[in-house]
Amino acid sequence: MSRRENSRKVATKQVKRKTPQGHRHSKAGCVKVLQRLSAYLDDELTTEVCKEVRAHMGACPKCELFLASLRQTISLCRHFKASPLSPAKKLQLRREIQKAISRA
Amino acid sequence: MTFDRMYLDNADRMYRFAQRLCGEEEDARDLVQETFLNAYRGLPQFRGDSQFSTWLYRIASRLCLAMRRRRKGEPQHELSIEEFIPTSDGELRLQIPADGLTPEQALANKQLRRTLRQAIQELPAKYRVVLVLRDMEGLSAKEVGTVMGLNERAVKSRLHRARLFIRRELAARGIGSGALRTEKGG
Repeated sequence: MSRRENSRKVATKQVKRKTPQGHRHSKAGCVKVLQRLSAYLDDELTTEVCKEVRAHMGACPKCELFLASLRQTISLCRHFKASPLSPAKKLQLRREIQKAISRA
Repeated sequence: MTFDRMYLDNADRMYRFAQRLCGEEEDARDLVQETFLNAYRGLPQFRGDSQFSTWLYRIASRLCLAMRRRRKGEPQHELSIEEFIPTSDGELRLQIPADGLTPEQALANKQLRRTLRQAIQELPAKYRVVLVLRDMEGLSAKEVGTVMGLNERAVKSRLHRARLFIRRELAARGIGSGALRTEKGG
């Protein structure tokens, strides 16, 4: 491959990655990032890998949307409250367990 | 340790955990009862290698997995990363109009709570336990590993798949546009 062809190929690749609406880079790149998203959000990646993920997000609006939705999902799970055990139910449950213990 | 001390110190935590795992109040009560019965019987074997609460979580998790195995129709399959790759643009966002709301405000909506609860219940049990322990009970990955008898890498792998599962369910089901804002407003 001539130098000119090679430089044209590199330039084309850069243009593709910078296209805001496009998703022309390889799907494998997206899958690789998707595999790392929890680790990224939990701050468990090395600085270098973290930079790679951020660079991918900057070039891939779809992965950016996906990341935002995963972040939102985790946040909803973390804030999802369970109903508390009322004092009456707590007492009743204690009696039931004690009864079962005495039967055993 | 007496039964009373063990129960009074841990009943609230175990009930909360059981509710998140089981979804239904009756199942949660059964699980709490079985957990404390098993813990009381196994108390002489508790060596204090881990926190007492971690030991109780382990008993409850094992009982939950055993209960689920006995049930017909309970999802058991392995989750692969590939199944969570969106195939259309509509699957990229959560269909929840919650922009500008805090998670607490968004979760004040009954429809969203029900959708999230259903999604959690549809997770195969071994993934659900990890998600509940890590993202809802707030244990570290290492502590979840101690509860489940897994290494940290396996915990993180299951957690990631569980989160992707819930994300996909929330993206697929969504809730009515405006519902959250209406509740926020009054």
